[in-house]
Amino acid sequence: MAASECVELHGRRDDDDEVIFLKDKCIRYFKRCLQVLPERFSSLDVTRLTVAFFAISGLDLLDAIDAIKDEKEKIIEWIYSYQVLPDKIESNRSRCGFRGSSAVGAPPSMGKPENAHPYDSGHIAMTYSALSTLLVLGDDLSRVDKKAIIQGVEALQQPDGSFCPLIDGAEKDMRFIYCAACICYILQDWGEIDKEKIVKFIQKCINYDGGIAQVPGAESHGGSIFCAVAALSLIDQLQTAFSPSQINKLRWWCLKRQDSGFQGRPNKPVDTCYSFWVGASLTLLDYYHFVDTQQNIAFILSTQDDIAGGLAKWPDVVPDPLHTYLGIGGLSLAGKEGVLPIHPGLNISKRAVDHLKHIHNQWGVASNIYS
Amino acid sequence: MNQDTPFEESNWVLYKDRPSWRDIEPLSQNDGSSAIVQIAYSEKFRDVFDYFRAVLFKDEKSERSFKLTEDAISLNPSNYTVWYFRRVLLQALKKDLHKELIYVQSIIEDNPKNYQVWHHRQVIVDWLRDTSEEKQLTEAVLKVDPKNYHAWQHRQWVLEEFGIWEGEIEFVEQLLEDDIRNNSAWNHRWFCISRTSSGELMEDVLMKELKYVLDCIKKVPSNESSWNYLHGILEERGLTKYPFIWEFCEELYSEGCRSPYLLAFMVDYLEAKGEESSDNLLSVQRAIEICNALAIQHDKIRAEYWKFMARNLGKKYEASPNCSD
Repeated sequence: MAASECVELHGRRDDDDEVIFLKDKCIRYFKRCLQVLPERFSSLDVTRLTVAFFAISGLDLLDAIDAIKDEKEKIIEWIYSYQVLPDKIESNRSRCGFRGSSAVGAPPSMGKPENAHPYDSGHIAMTYSALSTLLVLGDDLSRVDKKAIIQGVEALQQPDGSFCPLIDGAEKDMRFIYCAACICYILQDWGEIDKEKIVKFIQKCINYDGGIAQVPGAESHGGSIFCAVAALSLIDQLQTAFSPSQINKLRWWCLKRQDSGFQGRPNKPVDTCYSFWVGASLTLLDYYHFVDTQQNIAFILSTQDDIAGGLAKWPDVVPDPLHTYLGIGGLSLAGKEGVLPIHPGLNISKRAVDHLKHIHNQWGVASNIYS
Repeated sequence: MNQDTPFEESNWVLYKDRPSWRDIEPLSQNDGSSAIVQIAYSEKFRDVFDYFRAVLFKDEKSERSFKLTEDAISLNPSNYTVWYFRRVLLQALKKDLHKELIYVQSIIEDNPKNYQVWHHRQVIVDWLRDTSEEKQLTEAVLKVDPKNYHAWQHRQWVLEEFGIWEGEIEFVEQLLEDDIRNNSAWNHRWFCISRTSSGELMEDVLMKELKYVLDCIKKVPSNESSWNYLHGILEERGLTKYPFIWEFCEELYSEGCRSPYLLAFMVDYLEAKGEESSDNLLSVQRAIEICNALAIQHDKIRAEYWKFMARNLGKKYEASPNCSD
């Protein structure tokens, strides 16, 4: 559909401004996610930690982190219980990180284990989620085995510069470059990670249409672009990795994704999560001021569940934690009242990033991209 | 998502009630004293995974473990440890990998957007170095969902890894005939053309592609994908290299077409023309007019961008030394 046709089709109603953001219902939705999910969410068995991240960081963005103040310590303990620590003889160095749940059968981590579980390992997306959630909760990261985690991340970098999520083999693509960059940025330690190879991999993923794909040759994708652009900003190479012409084409590709809300690829329907993925990319590329925020906000709010709370991918679809969180992230980027400002690179509130800055000061390290 | 009812066989026997598993002590999830984000698993799910955890911890490389991975996968195909353990077992038990391909195909058909199962497929194909089923498999998946990212990625991996490019352009053309707006198919066309050319596109290949894409644009001028493709293939030689491209645009315009993609292309062309020589100020003026029309009428959602473009071009125009002539 041509953009002009779409504008007509979605012709803005005058009362769009009046669609109310049901913030309290979103807060209750996230609180429920932290308790017990219904059986149909069983496929999230191995990634429960990511649900915790969406819910907790979501509450933070809604300025409602106090809604879980009584459980805070318990949640922090739970996250640390998923840290895969080196065993006594350090046989599992390359397997360290955080696991996403207790599904593999390893007992809760309490100090160095005698013998590591043979199939237990961290997962880079879970390590990223764990560290981000700990930051949002105000933890000082003092119980994170930084050295072991960085060694775990190092072991996952592939010869082409990309990353696998875990040592036992899985697909490698742009998503895990982003996770690696967040982990190293948060811990302010890049170990032996080859940043140049990361940049090379990202360049190989640049497409004929100006976008960036998940792997070289694949289709340009809003999610891949976020991962690439945010990772480059975290390794402080966003200004140098691309030529001015590449940057402009990338900006234009992202801007074209708006069609009320944002779509992830050309000729695909708009979807709540891309208000964050593409919106954050545009913010990092200094082009967000060209977004029609009114239409964007109106689309995000049209996916609200008026009764149970939460946001969905599309209107009249059941909400899920990911779309609720990223929809709120999209609202934050659009400057929606009642939502705290989000850091477009780290995907947590700027308040949580201030806390990280404080931790970095305590560690005696400093970075230059907190804002 | 595992809603048990439709799949539940009425005669399902829980592992804890199976005599052949009596020697195994089930291992439940242990979240210590603080379990957050719990899931209300079904009894069957809990039972299968309690036994899976038990054999995994023992590293029991047995036929029954292998069968158990199938039950675990059917309940949660996203559990990457189950898939990894299955691969360990495939090798340890020297299983028939061709049978495994048939099994994986059935899982892919039920879970076409699952990362783990596609990765498993790739590993098995790589072990066998047999690609005889891959085109057919991806075609079947793309028939249902022509933009399935996993299927495209898998197909591209196979093509590139094994160098089997025959028939790909015909395949793409069929998909574009079904849906000319299928951006995944356009991307795949680019993938094939660029991966089978060494260095720059040959002139004859380029001409063939230009003809194809212009025909497609003529059919549906409001299709972003085909305009992106046109931009892409002209990239190396520059937008202004072939006068017939501009004539094509002017013709569409004179016929009343105001697709924002046509107009955006014209702006890029005119800007490039303006940069080529200072005699082309008229080009810049026209580009500014088009930007304004896009902002006011044809691409209102990006109005601020088009106004910015018009301002930028205006600045360039004023800055030109020939301006006062």
